[in-house]
Amino acid sequence: MTDQASILIIDENHARAAIIQDGLREAGHGNVRWLNETSNLLRHIAEIDPDVIVIDLESPNRDVLEQMFQVSRLVKRPVAMFVDQSDSVAMHDAMVAGVSAYVVDGLRKERVKHILDMCILRFNVFSRLQDELHEAKTALADRKVIERAKGIVMAAKSLSEQEAYVLMRKTAMDQKRRLIEIARAIVTAEGMLK
Amino acid sequence: MKNLKVGFIPLIDAAIPIAAMECGFAEREGLEITLMRETSWANIRDKLVHGLFDASHMLAPLAVATSLGVGNAGIGLAVPFGLNANGNCITLSSRLYRAMEEILGHPPQDPIQSARALKRIIDRRKAAGEPPITFGVVFPFSVHAIIVRHWLRLGGIDPYGDVQFQVVPPPFMVAGLSEGVIEGCCVGEPWNSRAVESGVGSIVVFGAEIARSAPDKVLTLRNETVETQGDTIHRLLKTYSQAARWCQDAGNHANLAHMLAQPQYLNVAPKTVMNALTGTLAISRTESRAMTDFLSFEGDDINRPDPRKARWLYAEIAMGLRGALDEAQARAAASVFRPDIFDAATGNNALPELADPIGLKFGPAFDAGNLQGYADALMQTAPGES
Repeated sequence: MTDQASILIIDENHARAAIIQDGLREAGHGNVRWLNETSNLLRHIAEIDPDVIVIDLESPNRDVLEQMFQVSRLVKRPVAMFVDQSDSVAMHDAMVAGVSAYVVDGLRKERVKHILDMCILRFNVFSRLQDELHEAKTALADRKVIERAKGIVMAAKSLSEQEAYVLMRKTAMDQKRRLIEIARAIVTAEGMLK
Repeated sequence: MKNLKVGFIPLIDAAIPIAAMECGFAEREGLEITLMRETSWANIRDKLVHGLFDASHMLAPLAVATSLGVGNAGIGLAVPFGLNANGNCITLSSRLYRAMEEILGHPPQDPIQSARALKRIIDRRKAAGEPPITFGVVFPFSVHAIIVRHWLRLGGIDPYGDVQFQVVPPPFMVAGLSEGVIEGCCVGEPWNSRAVESGVGSIVVFGAEIARSAPDKVLTLRNETVETQGDTIHRLLKTYSQAARWCQDAGNHANLAHMLAQPQYLNVAPKTVMNALTGTLAISRTESRAMTDFLSFEGDDINRPDPRKARWLYAEIAMGLRGALDEAQARAAASVFRPDIFDAATGNNALPELADPIGLKFGPAFDAGNLQGYADALMQTAPGES
């Protein structure tokens, strides 16, 4: 069964918005839109007239949504922040994940909770993907430095590739440092002495 | 020793929390502090309320509104230290500023002159059936919104009927002015200078021209933290007192400007910070204006939280929401400002209080004992006609 509640995602990160959108669709929420507008946000919200607004906590536009708590000529329906103090665990989880949701008039609480839970899940998936990407990039960069250092040691001491590597690893173990630190030191020293 | 998490928004008025750490004041008191940069006041409020922060840099009216449950669920907050007075400007779109110059025959010289000129523009636009002017403010509950309303009244403009207000995050103010979403705004530095530099706006009023010491940002904690960690909080306030003195000293301004300008804080050019510290700003393409108390970090009526200021903020918030004034609410608001904690921490022996805690430069003086009288007097005045 599809839930026809209209959901608006406000997120400047295109990739993350896509991940959330997919998650919500898979969970049966067919009516999802995405906005990354930085000015005149209220007018766009008024035009889209959503039931639920999900916003990235990194967005300064959260303060714009605060205005909707009050009577505003720009917004047709009253807005409340979904997770209030009665549900402080959900609020805490949402804030740690970096997301917040606003409900526009009268949607049942369980339905909104379902939507928010899905968003928290997807926000966390996105953070994990970013962490993994960062780790992969770092590992690749580290490997390049180690290769350079190995080349320097091979040339300086007329060693084979395997011998250079063993020497570096032994030095690292003796000094209780990581191999990449030794490699960086070698590359830096070579740059200085050149 | 527990690590204290202190939230802040990257603004010049976060100077005291930043300097307390960077200058080593906190370390000397044995405090371990982590500064947490945030992007919105709503985040600041929610993270403080839900315990992700121990303390935070906060808009003074937001501390009061949050305690009263206005615009959110409501939780008891304590303000033991004021972080600054003033530092904001009212900036108008270049088009509006030019219209004002045409009416006056010269650039506006003072807030009354500019407000009266604006009144004539508003009347003209009303007659022509044009839409009302929208002002951008940083948050529904902010001294920025209050300052604009006071200025508008100087020209006989009804702040609730003749203009509209819209919340615009400071980084989007310049874009808002250039795209015509807003035609004026009240915001802190560097955003006014940015508007002037990029030719989309001109500064018409300094906040300090409207009020001598309107509370702008304050240090805010949960009541629960005050009760359970009194000693830590006392030490924190001691370091903030030292930092306030250091930040106010003109001899340190160059250092302070470089400190705040760093990427992890404001991430702007030191020169931009320096202009606000010295109070000398280019207000349009051709003019500049200087005011020594444009922004203040230290003073008897700045750091020590005066409950009468909280009553003023409450009255202004209630008027902004078009609600009736309620003495019980006013008392609840006053109890948010805690001079007792400040005195205990800094060894201050309650200073003689200034007769007027806000120092409004025009219109009726604020009387903390008679909020209704103040509100009535404000509503009645139309100095533009006098």
